[in-house]
Amino acid sequence: MTWINYVIATGRPVEGLVERATAVGGGPVWGLAVGPAPVAQRLAQSGVERVVWFETAADVPAEALARGLAAQVTARPGLVWAGRTAPERVLLGAAAAALRAPVLTDAVDLWLEDDRLVARQAALAGRLWLTLAFDRPVAILLEGGPAQADQPTRASVEIVAGPALTHPLRQVDWRPRGGAPVDLKAARRVVAVGRGLKAALDLGLIEALAEALGAEVACSRPLAEGLGWLPKDRYVGVSGQQVSPQLYCAVGLSGQAQHLAGARTADLIVAINSDPDAPVMAAADYILCGDLYQLVPALTEALS
Amino acid sequence: MRIVVAHKWAADPQEAVVGADGAVDWSRARPAVSEYDAVAIAVGRQLADASGAELVGLSVGGPTAAAPLAAKAALARGLDSALIVADPALAEADSAVTAQVLAAAVTELGQVGLVLTGDCSVDRGARLTPAVLAGWLDWVCLAEVSAVRWDPTGLSLERESDGGWQSLTLSPPAVLALAAGAVYPPVPGMKDVLAAARKPIRQLDLGQLGLELIRAPLLLAAAPAPAPDRRGVVIDAMDPALAAAELVARLSHDGLTWEGRP
Repeated sequence: MTWINYVIATGRPVEGLVERATAVGGGPVWGLAVGPAPVAQRLAQSGVERVVWFETAADVPAEALARGLAAQVTARPGLVWAGRTAPERVLLGAAAAALRAPVLTDAVDLWLEDDRLVARQAALAGRLWLTLAFDRPVAILLEGGPAQADQPTRASVEIVAGPALTHPLRQVDWRPRGGAPVDLKAARRVVAVGRGLKAALDLGLIEALAEALGAEVACSRPLAEGLGWLPKDRYVGVSGQQVSPQLYCAVGLSGQAQHLAGARTADLIVAINSDPDAPVMAAADYILCGDLYQLVPALTEALS
Repeated sequence: MRIVVAHKWAADPQEAVVGADGAVDWSRARPAVSEYDAVAIAVGRQLADASGAELVGLSVGGPTAAAPLAAKAALARGLDSALIVADPALAEADSAVTAQVLAAAVTELGQVGLVLTGDCSVDRGARLTPAVLAGWLDWVCLAEVSAVRWDPTGLSLERESDGGWQSLTLSPPAVLALAAGAVYPPVPGMKDVLAAARKPIRQLDLGQLGLELIRAPLLLAAAPAPAPDRRGVVIDAMDPALAAAELVARLSHDGLTWEGRP
């Protein structure tokens, strides 16, 4: 039988995911757009064959449409592909349960073999690689992001309405946090800071270095989730952002496996740390062992 | 009404030893209530106190999930009672299977208005279990929730989303995955540990739930992840200015430029 590949979109670019589904999925690729009209319109030009649109009012989060999306995929089962943001995960989970499908996460590579989906999965915080074979249907959690290849502008495909089955969920307020949302995955250079930074005020040092490098500022989990010094979309790690920049500069950051798994595919890693035995030192291309409060300003100076 | 906290007795993968043949030795790793689950239990306690609900801990896993220490460690964090589904068939359960069993146990328990989870499990960290669980229950699910308030008409939630703070309302039943920083869970004191010893623990037999478990993928091979192919060049940092100049020179040699700010 022909298996449909469904790609879920809630507003973030999913062209990269559509490319992977097209290359690997072995069947037609349909988009499942959940959100206001622009989400469906963008998805219709991403390379999918058709778009099923779950329209939401401005005050209804995408998660409210999980029920309709589940009904859609059970009507015609297949592989379901989604990215790692909170709404994408919720919608993928609804599809997985509806299809009684196994889930694939943390895939390093995947391909079709003898009509099964085979994946190399990074387990144990990236320390163990498993090769797993899945019978379809499968729910696949994979970093989407913008297209890898240069894509021509595509004609828009047909958009049809999906089942309007909703959960009782409403957004009553939204307040900007200050500072624009950041897409770390698209950043070519990243300066990531960890617990070696003594105070939130010292972030100025890191921001100055990032500006001199033309980089985005990122951090380890404690800075975003425990201390709240930086917004959560700037935290790199297994459960945070996974980035592939040209340059990843890790400052005052020990480099636990859970963090480094998020920067594994960086072209170059620079480690600045006072502890010569920190795990990040063994995972870097260039190692500067010393006080970040001296090294970071010196580096900023050398760049300007 | 009941509020369920789904939690997992698991060890940090950092403490596991990966052999050259891909075999994993967990013998030196110590399982615990992960910090994320402790956040969910602490939030659950606040909500249960505000609503008069019973707070039930639900743990699904291999035989170790039924160790007396496992239930007591979770109960000491403020649960009223513990429900455990432990079976050898669940020792390696992934998000799909774990969620399926959790859903069946929540249904079996009955009168559940809310299921809380941590952000992710410490051992797998897939962050999908609450979503799949909600799918099985056909309940609404929200992840990365940083605050929950109970009122008679429903639940008010806060979370960080798209670079801002989102306020939401929903009607139970619901599954909520809490952000790791939602609260600082208190460390249980001696009184909590002693009280935990008197709290009810109930085991549910997996067979009793009558499930046909989601088929796990077939394991074809396991190997240690390849060591990162990094150069490991140590730049002498005694003199910060010299070290900085050397790093900039090396990065320039690697083709990085600073003008034009890509």
